[in-house]
Amino acid sequence: MTEAANPDIRSRQVSNMHVNIDDAVLIKQYRNGDSASMEQLVLKYQNRIYNVILKICADPDDAAELTQETFVKVIENLDKFEGRSGFYTWTFRIAVNLTLNYCQRNSRLAFRSLDAEQDQQDDSKVKQVLKDFLSDDSSPDPAAEVQNKELYRIAARTLMGLDEEHRAVIVLRDIEGMSYARIAEVLDIELGTVRSRLSRARSKMRDILEAILR
Amino acid sequence: MKENPDMDTNASNERIDELLNSYIDDELTAEQKAEVERLIDQDAKIAQRLRQLQKCRILIGSMPYAEAPSSVLEGVRASLAGRVLPSEEQPAYEEQAGKKYVLLRKVLAAAAMVGLAAVLSVVIHRIVPIQTAPEKPVAVEDRTAESIKPAARMVAASGFSGRLELKTSALNAVDAFIKSAIDDNGLSASINPERRQGRRIYSLSCTRDGLNSLLADLDNIWSELDSATLFVNTEVFGTQTVIDAVTTKQIAEIAGQDSPERRIELAKDFAVLNNMAENLPDKEIRVAIEAGDSSLTQQWRILKPVLTSNQKAVKKPADQAQEKQTVRLTIILDW
Repeated sequence: MTEAANPDIRSRQVSNMHVNIDDAVLIKQYRNGDSASMEQLVLKYQNRIYNVILKICADPDDAAELTQETFVKVIENLDKFEGRSGFYTWTFRIAVNLTLNYCQRNSRLAFRSLDAEQDQQDDSKVKQVLKDFLSDDSSPDPAAEVQNKELYRIAARTLMGLDEEHRAVIVLRDIEGMSYARIAEVLDIELGTVRSRLSRARSKMRDILEAILR
Repeated sequence: MKENPDMDTNASNERIDELLNSYIDDELTAEQKAEVERLIDQDAKIAQRLRQLQKCRILIGSMPYAEAPSSVLEGVRASLAGRVLPSEEQPAYEEQAGKKYVLLRKVLAAAAMVGLAAVLSVVIHRIVPIQTAPEKPVAVEDRTAESIKPAARMVAASGFSGRLELKTSALNAVDAFIKSAIDDNGLSASINPERRQGRRIYSLSCTRDGLNSLLADLDNIWSELDSATLFVNTEVFGTQTVIDAVTTKQIAEIAGQDSPERRIELAKDFAVLNNMAENLPDKEIRVAIEAGDSSLTQQWRILKPVLTSNQKAVKKPADQAQEKQTVRLTIILDW
């Protein structure tokens, strides 16, 4: 499945199309003293950064704080930004590093859920939804599946069952829609490592789903 | 979900898993893709495994897209509000900011001069003999009001012209950075790199803005330099004003002045200041100044004695209208 084939990713790309000012131009304008240019950059990327951080750290307040910290760090280090990688990649690298460091300092996050209602939900209902989802051998229909809120809760649980490194690579690929090469740049790892880490992460996800069913 | 308990521990199955994941992520070459499709067609278990992996992907993709709360932008705004913009720091050199900066520097220089009269006398002692012996290199061009006036008439339309001599032990790295900075700033067309005797010579002819952008980039490698000396051509005087331990900001400020008199005056100020920094008996005053505003004393960082020179003026180009728009800087990079 390509990035454009994922409807969620595609809608995000479309929503960002109105921002057609090149990042490099905005950076240059900011360097020349135009603080509004930095605001434009923040507006352009804040939702995507926040969304990725939230999916990794699983706490809306922490995600907001880490998103803000990311942009402050971006501003502080903009003079060191040499443009070898794109501003988008560079910003995501800062965001993911901050978030992973934060997660490592707060291991309790592993037990959090993205959905506060999860604890109250009916386990049998969850199991049934998951069973139906997995047993359906027909070709998966993403548009239909995303409508299912129960599945979202299961997804959140599954994601939080992964360790941070696996979670990050899954989020960057399946939520942010990055290519393997881009993920390698953001995480500063080899392309082969992205491939194997992603594969292990999805295998681990299957194990977690199995455990939910038991 | 596992059809075969050995599947996860088998290396070849791990390889198949990687291939299947790469297949659903559209990260395979055409041949690999064909191989995977052949496997799927031939092996029902692999086809089933592919569907499971696709489901894992869909499951994560089903999570709703969260939008950042408004507090994020507000927080960043607050950070920006309390922050000095880059244009007021090193990289860009707006004329107004430059003037304020020079004014502050002069005040600080005056305070330092009062406190360090003894040291200054040593400095003056170094400069004065040079001025009275024009056949020897001069530290700072002797400029009286009378001597500047005729020059102003002759070169009022002239742009900045000078030579920047950089010495570094990391010649290749610095050379590569300079080339990259020139390219990044779109100055390639006006640069003429030469190589002789292990030196790199760049003859740069560009606008002030172009020079400022380049200098902002070069500031990143300034700490790699063993010395940086600027020779400001004074044209009609037949001599140059020399500023040792020059910083990128000083160069930009000098080049940013509209008249030759202002350039020379500023160059002299910088030369004296840099020389004073070298001759401070201790760093107490510097530390005190830095404690007040560290950004104001960055020019005091490189401590080298003033180099001197009495080179002849650069010949004035015929097209003065063009030169008014253009700054000319020869960068010489050496061991």
